[in-house]
Amino acid sequence: MSLLVVENLMKTFPGGKNALNNLSFQLGRGECLGLVGESGCGKSTLARCLLRIESVDSGSIYLNDLAIERLNERQLYSHRKKIQIVFQNPTAALNPKLKIKESIFEPYEQYRKELTLNHFSYTSKDAFIRQLLEAVELPSHVANQYPHELSGGQKQRVTIARSISIEPDLIVLDEPTASLDVISQGAVLTLLTELRETLNLSYLFISHDLAAVKQMSQRIMVMKEGEIVDQFNQEHLFSTERHPYTKELISIF
Amino acid sequence: MILSLEQVSIGTREKKIVDNVSLSIREGEWYALVGQSGSGKSLLSQAIGRMLSPNLQVEGKIFFKDQDLLSLSPKEIRAIRGQRLSYIFQDYQGSFTPFRTIGQHFGEYLKTHGNRDSSIRKAKTIEALESVGLDESVYKRYPFQLSGGQLQRVSIALALLLSPDLIIADEMTTALDSVSGHRVLELLAKRQQETGCTILFITHDWRHVRRYATRIAVMKEGKIVESGGKHRILDHPQHEYTKQLIQAAPILQRGLPSGLEEVGSL
Amino acid sequence: MTGLSIRLPRAKKHRFQAVTALLCVVFLLAVFIYTFLYLQHDPTLTDLDHRLLEPTLQHPLGTDQLGRDVLTRLLLGGQQTLGFSLLALMIALLIGVPFGIISGYKRGLVDRVFMRIGDAFLSFPDTIVAIVLSGLMGPGIGNLVLAIVLVKWVSYARLVRSTVLSESQKDYVLIARINGLSSRKIMRKHLLPHVVGHVLVLASLDLGKIILLISAFSYIGLGAQPPMPEWGAMLNDSRPYFGSRPELMIYPGLAIVGVVLLTNMLGDYLRDRFDVKKEVR
Repeated sequence: MSLLVVENLMKTFPGGKNALNNLSFQLGRGECLGLVGESGCGKSTLARCLLRIESVDSGSIYLNDLAIERLNERQLYSHRKKIQIVFQNPTAALNPKLKIKESIFEPYEQYRKELTLNHFSYTSKDAFIRQLLEAVELPSHVANQYPHELSGGQKQRVTIARSISIEPDLIVLDEPTASLDVISQGAVLTLLTELRETLNLSYLFISHDLAAVKQMSQRIMVMKEGEIVDQFNQEHLFSTERHPYTKELISIF
Repeated sequence: MILSLEQVSIGTREKKIVDNVSLSIREGEWYALVGQSGSGKSLLSQAIGRMLSPNLQVEGKIFFKDQDLLSLSPKEIRAIRGQRLSYIFQDYQGSFTPFRTIGQHFGEYLKTHGNRDSSIRKAKTIEALESVGLDESVYKRYPFQLSGGQLQRVSIALALLLSPDLIIADEMTTALDSVSGHRVLELLAKRQQETGCTILFITHDWRHVRRYATRIAVMKEGKIVESGGKHRILDHPQHEYTKQLIQAAPILQRGLPSGLEEVGSL
Repeated sequence: MTGLSIRLPRAKKHRFQAVTALLCVVFLLAVFIYTFLYLQHDPTLTDLDHRLLEPTLQHPLGTDQLGRDVLTRLLLGGQQTLGFSLLALMIALLIGVPFGIISGYKRGLVDRVFMRIGDAFLSFPDTIVAIVLSGLMGPGIGNLVLAIVLVKWVSYARLVRSTVLSESQKDYVLIARINGLSSRKIMRKHLLPHVVGHVLVLASLDLGKIILLISAFSYIGLGAQPPMPEWGAMLNDSRPYFGSRPELMIYPGLAIVGVVLLTNMLGDYLRDRFDVKKEVR
């Protein structure tokens, strides 16, 4: 059974950019599905539609067999605890006025009454934050610091800690390493893979970096102008049947 | 040697940020300076054009051909900057004034450097835009109407406008996605072949430069830890930090990181 | 009238000044509270046998034209002036800040309606509103406070709105929304902390202007009504005796200048404290 099923998704914007054109794909439980494309191809629009920050024009999105575009406010609330997102720019994703522990604690605080955790356990707030920081390999004193005291890579680890804190079914990673320097990029990618294995998470990994996607994902989709033009397992990346656009992307890296 | 830095240090009174850096760049080469954010590579590049903020002090010598740039008067340095030495920056939106058209940017640039005839200015501008694959319609556009890739093309055209001897490109592809970044670099390489200018390319990701760079210097915490030919640095790194940098960034192609085929692999 | 406010040159480091100013304010408040608790003289008790006395041990600053103790009136007047200024400021903040946050966060129709309401209030200068109100409802310090609130809240609403507009565009607000936080909670937890600094700066600079406004209106008889002690009113009352007892005007005058100066120093310090962008590497 697939965790996420997207069928014939359509979305247009005035001006024509970032549109989605008849998008269909599935994502299995425990999988990391890679999605590659240039900026403006609509990959971030897809992320926003999955979280229902953006409504769709037509088509369906099923998460756990639940059609999310038809949820009412109440159902949407419980839908959102099953899906989390990590954005490209960690500086914008953390409130500069809040201590790290407050930012990390936000989703759990919100959903704690209706959550049962498998990997993390909640005894006290401090202990809970410590577990999460440990999971993303940050020292525990970070909890009482403010975002501007951390480096980009550390901030992104904090947003990852926040997104895994409620053990969601799916995490949408929207270019999580694009604003980091190379060394932090590598470290964050390794961390994400480890977390997926230990916490049994599923990822939709969105990136313009084909090399990073290949490192992260078994299955890769290539998106161009709102359409999925190519879809393959990573071992077939260099096959001659690849779409010309995929070949162009390969030539870059 | 078109540019040589001799024991350059940059810092505030309390702290040295760039520490005793020496390097030399040959005419016509593509020299890549690789390092993480905070390694001091951007400060170094700004020091060359004497564009550091006044609270930072520079020691050492920076020779551009035979002139020590650090000993020139502000007027002399202005004449060199733009005409013989130009910059391309990461922040392509910040590089352009939002309420002036692309054409006006070029016009002003040509005018400050002594071009008085407006029709010649326009012709030169359009020629420059065409050389980077943009058509005439861009002339009348405002910066926000262009994409990041297009703006960086314009930056290249602007940097090459007065045929400088040296271009300093500071993280010029970092804000672009890899596809547009690649296209922009390809263009820059093509223009380098046509004009023969020298490029000092500053980046945090060695993958951006492995195709084009002739020599690479790796910078960490204000010091150059390793420098040499591209093949030497990427395929046979000596320093631990260089190895770490290469390892952190995966590439797809088989063969060596420098892009050369492994001997005997065929 | 508001143009009278004193601008100190903006020094880079005036933490010392600020601490001094803060201490002075605290001291003043303590004195005001003390006088309130241990009142020696009735500030409104007229005693025509002892009018216009020179300073004595019993009346350290002498008595005024109706034989009332000047020091008591000066201190109580400070209580009134400062108290009503703070009251006006508080009410303006309580209206303006939530208005601004809601307007900036909700955008769209709510924003347009809210801001047009604000524009309507802003189109009258504070002095005009104060004069009109006292014309309609009779002079009195309550009406003056109302006039100040009616005009001042808009500037807070606008300041807050512009900060919130840019801040609510950031990803962390989106993430909070994704995580199911209610609008109210987002506004309180994520947006309010961003505006506090700006608001404090503006408020402390405004305080001086409001003090001047209240004093000025009391001086021309539209603010505090006799026999209530108020600095501006005291200035006016002692005007006829300027020739014989000029200190009766000098005391409240000095008091006004001193307090306005203090609030300005405090405001300058707060502005430097909150406006300077924190150095981020």
